[in-house]
Amino acid sequence: MVTDIANAVRSELVRTRRKGLMLGWLGLTALAAVLINVVMFQVVESGGAAPSGGPGVSFPTAAELARPDGLVAGLGAAAGMFGVVTLSFWALVTATDYQTGLIRLLVSAQPRRWLLLTGKILALVLWTAAVTTVAVVTDLLVAPAVAGGSGIDVSAWRDNVPSTLAEGWLNLFCALVVWGVFGLALAVVTRSAAIAISVGVGYVLVVESVIRAAAETIGDRLPGSTLSALAQGGNTALSYASALALGAAYTLVSIGIAEVVLHRRDITD
Amino acid sequence: METVTAAGLTRRFGKLTAVKPLTLGLPAGKVIGLVGPNGSGKSTLIRMLLGLMKPSAGQATVLDEPISSPGRYLGRVGALVENPAFVPGLSARANLTSLARLRGLPNARVDAVLDTVGLTGRDREPVKRYSLGMKQRLGIAAALLPDPALLILDEPTNGLDPSGIVEIRSLLAQLGTAGRTVLVSSHLLSEIEAICEHLVVIRFGELLYSGPITGLLNAAGQHVDLRAEHDADTDRLVQALQAHGWQVTGSAADGVRVSAGAQDAAPINRAAHTAGITLRELSVVQDSLEDVFLAMTGGTEQQLMAARATAAGRGAR
Repeated sequence: MVTDIANAVRSELVRTRRKGLMLGWLGLTALAAVLINVVMFQVVESGGAAPSGGPGVSFPTAAELARPDGLVAGLGAAAGMFGVVTLSFWALVTATDYQTGLIRLLVSAQPRRWLLLTGKILALVLWTAAVTTVAVVTDLLVAPAVAGGSGIDVSAWRDNVPSTLAEGWLNLFCALVVWGVFGLALAVVTRSAAIAISVGVGYVLVVESVIRAAAETIGDRLPGSTLSALAQGGNTALSYASALALGAAYTLVSIGIAEVVLHRRDITD
Repeated sequence: METVTAAGLTRRFGKLTAVKPLTLGLPAGKVIGLVGPNGSGKSTLIRMLLGLMKPSAGQATVLDEPISSPGRYLGRVGALVENPAFVPGLSARANLTSLARLRGLPNARVDAVLDTVGLTGRDREPVKRYSLGMKQRLGIAAALLPDPALLILDEPTNGLDPSGIVEIRSLLAQLGTAGRTVLVSSHLLSEIEAICEHLVVIRFGELLYSGPITGLLNAAGQHVDLRAEHDADTDRLVQALQAHGWQVTGSAADGVRVSAGAQDAAPINRAAHTAGITLRELSVVQDSLEDVFLAMTGGTEQQLMAARATAAGRGAR
């Protein structure tokens, strides 16, 4: 069993080792990390309240930025942005199997379909770890440079840097994995990268914003808000433990849906 | 011994029955042709045998295992279903390595199958740069990875130019010599009659023939091709022949085909003469396998499409 899972992961890693695809994912993530830090230190005013963000972005206050974990605040602030990028790439990798007809070969080679799904998830989790590392390293390089001109005292950032980075990495990684699993489930259900990405991005940019505006209490527990809270290590609306539990629940439900659909549906692609 | 058996195997898509209750047995160690016009249910049958689709009814076995448990036999089956599917940006070697790893096979198998299909030396090029023929060979290489006891190739010459077809045909003949069972599907009998020993003919999901190819040849008859001196007399010629009770199976400006044997040649000539028509051509021709196949499956692609449309119209009512 373990050998079969390892084989499925190794097989998936070979297929996902595509320069264009992975450089795109890593590049967009690094770009998002640069952008959020540059913008964040321009809009957050010393002593003021948190500026309003936008879909996928929620800015911290200047006081929060000045804390030791302010070093990785950009990662939490743009968790939705990182999430949408991750969702898109997981969806793209998954839907490619259907759009190229490769799924026929894969299911013929490994008829236990849950193994194919497990292999894909684990391989993409490994890639997500690499992407998270790129985001954290970019943040580490950019945040101190742009913080200097903002007038916010960031001297506390020097305290316990490794632990802050590790915590920031773990929180963002967990959030991105859940985002990715959403993308995978959408791609398995729709069998189309374009539709899966449209539904995912449309949900974050439109549907969840509307629901949040209508009912804030429910909105705080919706996927986008939950994963932002998870990436931030918890926030005023949702504790870290609650965000973690909800994130795990969303992951299990998404994997469950993908597994049932993949198992039951005929391979007609 | 039989490699594949089916008993009442059926597949429905809504109101359309793609594979009607099908009962057959395919012998082991032979090259078997699965022939039928486009849309006759060949791919659906193959997908059911590979566990890609579940049957609506009936049972089947592959290598003595039920198709409800594909995990028990797919390790010994290699398949190319419809068009070869690969990650276009990856090399042929990387694509095969990925599949070999999924099956738990060593990298040596990748080298071996690349060599078999003649892609060694081009294996590090991205698949997107491959010609259609090279992609088909790569698809066959992927099917050969597990060194299968049963090799299933669905339309392996689809879209190929004549030289590509010859290339794949000789490769298939070579693959069928090692005691392995090879099931090749095609909508063109001419493509596979040269390499197959056993033939399965289906039309609109219905089994029309399953047996040795020689059995089908024995069923072949004769026909007489004739042509009037003036093309304008063709219609009159058809009427005259039909009036004498002959069955005209084909009529066009360039001639008439009559279902008849050598003994009918002289009476046909006399009938034409009596009708005042001089023939400039009359020949007795042995039916080819293609003729038998067309007669069995109902004619040309266009005729079949018309028949299918009529059948669908009736089903909808």
